[in-house]
Amino acid sequence: MFVILVYDVNEKRVAKALKTCRKYLYWVQNSVFEGELSEANYKKLKFELEKIINKEEDSVIFYTFRSMRYSERESMGLKKGGDVNFL
Amino acid sequence: MKRSFYIMSDGEIKRKDNTFVFENDSGKKYIPIEELNDIYVFGELTLNKRFLEYASQKEVPVHFFNHYGYYIGSFYPREHLNSGYMILKQAEHYLDSTKRLFLARQFVAGSAQNILHVLKYYINRDKEMLNDTYYAIEELMGRLEGCTEVSQLMAIEGNIRDLYYKAFDLILENPDFSFEKRTRRPPQNYINTMISFGNSIIYTIVLSEIYKTHLDPRIGYLHSTNFRRFTLNLDVSEIFKPIIVDRMILTLIGKKMITKSDFDKNANGIIMKDKGKQLILQEIDKKMGVTIKHRELGREVSYRTIVRMELYKLEKHLMGEKEFKPFQSKW
Repeated sequence: MFVILVYDVNEKRVAKALKTCRKYLYWVQNSVFEGELSEANYKKLKFELEKIINKEEDSVIFYTFRSMRYSERESMGLKKGGDVNFL
Repeated sequence: MKRSFYIMSDGEIKRKDNTFVFENDSGKKYIPIEELNDIYVFGELTLNKRFLEYASQKEVPVHFFNHYGYYIGSFYPREHLNSGYMILKQAEHYLDSTKRLFLARQFVAGSAQNILHVLKYYINRDKEMLNDTYYAIEELMGRLEGCTEVSQLMAIEGNIRDLYYKAFDLILENPDFSFEKRTRRPPQNYINTMISFGNSIIYTIVLSEIYKTHLDPRIGYLHSTNFRRFTLNLDVSEIFKPIIVDRMILTLIGKKMITKSDFDKNANGIIMKDKGKQLILQEIDKKMGVTIKHRELGREVSYRTIVRMELYKLEKHLMGEKEFKPFQSKW
């Protein structure tokens, strides 16, 4: 499935959250990640993040899509990051 | 589906924060390890043991290619699916000449079937002159049953490919990309260069998939097992070459996506420029992700999965559960 993840995490924990997300998803811009995940890896990611964040202060939101067929992606301005597999 | 990464530029790869980071002058790029299938290295890459250790732990094979795009070798992590039973079964089917012949014939037949399928596509698009080739190949296929020796199968396979590659000229009608004859190491014209490069990619794709099964890539059936290299991936690739590599070539040339300027004339052969390599890799990578409806499973599966299912079928055959039948393209 395709996942878009956005987070707002307190500075104290944000580095940890960032590192966790990098293992699974492509960094798009500050606090935003996206990428294709398997069902299992999606659960793993959620589980790992759950352990990092403080539920009182932080917020993480996942948008999931079964396929990208009916979606469109437009962007303005700089391309900061995103999914690339040719380096 | 896990993705493949292709490193075309020069730089350094490292383990960092429990994932990989690729770094060069243009910046850092993190590679999501959990969704990483394998890595193909074309550029000058600096790496260390820590990287290899982590690749091994995460079961990610790393394939290396030299400056000319030739396959050098792979970092094939320690076998994580170690099955003595499967190795014995594989060896048993290799040593018993009737069993070996059966499998070898299946690979050749599968390859030929898919070749016919590619030709059919063009025949249906007003390339009637291909009919002769089509029937000639069909005729050769009929002789497969009578073969009593793997070398005879190999010979027929060679003849089929000969006829088939000659048909490329009729399909493409592009004088820049005429086939003439098959040349390798190094290839002498553009189309041969593309075939060689595409084939070496498909070999490594299949190798990556073999890694996920219990099979041992060192024991092949059509290609005889030797002291030098993996051979099972060569066998299985035969089935997929026509539908993945050859179609890719015909598309790229047909749509004029690749031109003479993507190649370099070298002292004794023709090699591809980086842009050409990338074009081919992109096209194959895209193809591996394309999904088709599988008739038995009744759901959509990607070509990469189909390659792996081919290996599972082989495992089943070796264990005596179900006879191996090569994948036949219907699309």
